[in-house]
Amino acid sequence: MNDMRMTERGVDSKNIKMKARKVQVFYGTNHAIKDVDVDIEDKTVTAFIGPSGCGKSTFLRCLNRMNDTIDICRVEGEITLDGEDIYDRKVDPVQLRAKVGMVFQKPNPFPKSIYDNVAYGPRIHGLARGKAELDEIVEKSLRRAAIWNEVKDRLDAPGTGLSGGQQQRLCIARAIATGPEVLLMDEPCSALDPIATAQVEELIDELRERFSVVIVTHSMQQAARVSQKTAFFHLGNLVEYGETSKIFTNPDDPRTESYITGRIG
Amino acid sequence: MPHSEHIVSSFDRDLEGIQAQIMRMGGLVEEAIAKATEALEARDPELARAVRDGDKAIDALDERVNDEAARIIAQRQPIARDLRTVLTVFRVSNNLERIGDYAKNIAKRTETIIDQPPVNGTAASLRRMARQVELMLKDVLDAYIQRDAGLAMDVRMRDRDVDQMYSALFREYLTFMLEDPRNITTCMHLHFMAKNIERMGDHVTSIAEQVIYLVTGDLPEDERPKEDSTPHDAGVGR
Repeated sequence: MNDMRMTERGVDSKNIKMKARKVQVFYGTNHAIKDVDVDIEDKTVTAFIGPSGCGKSTFLRCLNRMNDTIDICRVEGEITLDGEDIYDRKVDPVQLRAKVGMVFQKPNPFPKSIYDNVAYGPRIHGLARGKAELDEIVEKSLRRAAIWNEVKDRLDAPGTGLSGGQQQRLCIARAIATGPEVLLMDEPCSALDPIATAQVEELIDELRERFSVVIVTHSMQQAARVSQKTAFFHLGNLVEYGETSKIFTNPDDPRTESYITGRIG
Repeated sequence: MPHSEHIVSSFDRDLEGIQAQIMRMGGLVEEAIAKATEALEARDPELARAVRDGDKAIDALDERVNDEAARIIAQRQPIARDLRTVLTVFRVSNNLERIGDYAKNIAKRTETIIDQPPVNGTAASLRRMARQVELMLKDVLDAYIQRDAGLAMDVRMRDRDVDQMYSALFREYLTFMLEDPRNITTCMHLHFMAKNIERMGDHVTSIAEQVIYLVTGDLPEDERPKEDSTPHDAGVGR
């Protein structure tokens, strides 16, 4: 009854894909994430919102161990993917990132052809047994990223020659080529115009049929449009986490309300 | 914190502006209710005329509020409490406009029956009933300003009294008409006026529900108390 998008597909599954418990992140002495518990549902778009420096991107990067690359960064607590601890010593971060893909704020295609941008992941992970199979993966990924029709005649052209919106969809194609189960997106539309933004948002909604999407965004309207669950971060704390329709019509915490309505909190 | 200001101060001015219009409308509507029944009791055609003319100002305000609310939605994309404020303003404005129409209707009928012989004491009962609605409206507008869901809930319950008064008047008019067919024309008009006031009460109740929604984020879930039993036991054919 409280769902304001009754005409939309419901959240397909209540299965928990990723689970975080008592997660702490330190950059040197700076305590950036404090005691965060969150369940990321399968086949659901989860939005992380909050003011700059609130820790939402930091937390997102914990979900595929991107913070490992930062020397002074220390992560404590437990994060699991399908019940398995992703910080376990047996887990290879490269394998993990094939399962938990990532798209960044600025489109960052490799300085290679469009084809090679998408083929790169499947090649290094050995996902294709021959040229034909690789071709198929590339085409399927570009189709799912809703860019196939625009690039199918120039797959050998450099990826960097595309427009910003196309580059971002190419990066999404690259991220989904390895067959991930979770896709992390760090402000994927902040460098795009409204049309390209709408295309990426439409894409996010389609991708949700296959896997979980976790998106960090500064646009309240975008979070309201694309997500089913929203988490509000403030000063390293997870203040409120719940149904998007509830957060944007009647949030429980006054800090959430002040932030989303543009008040001085 | 709950009433702290927006970073974009013109957003606050927009919301304050539109709510000020609602208060002006509320004032005009209260006055229309009082004057309409006063005109009836005093048999004052000029006052009735003034009520009819005054409705134009209420309609104009309603139109302005609707335009403003649409502009705020398009320009500011309000969410959470701000969204509820705009939605509430929109609906309350429509409710007030309708109450204004009912007052105008009473004034119109007053002009029609002014030359007929009065039916004993009926105008005074109507005025008491209207007075009740007027007080409910005043309280609900206070509840709106104060964001007082408790007071709104209280107003909502008081509509039962209005319904009871209506049922009583209905029986009274029926009795007068049975007693003397010459009363029929007047009593029919009076009955429509009573019905108009009863409907005003319903609109005030609807405003009360909007205030509860504005404050709590939820509409009240329990069934609204209903005391209008006229269709069943008004004594027709007895």
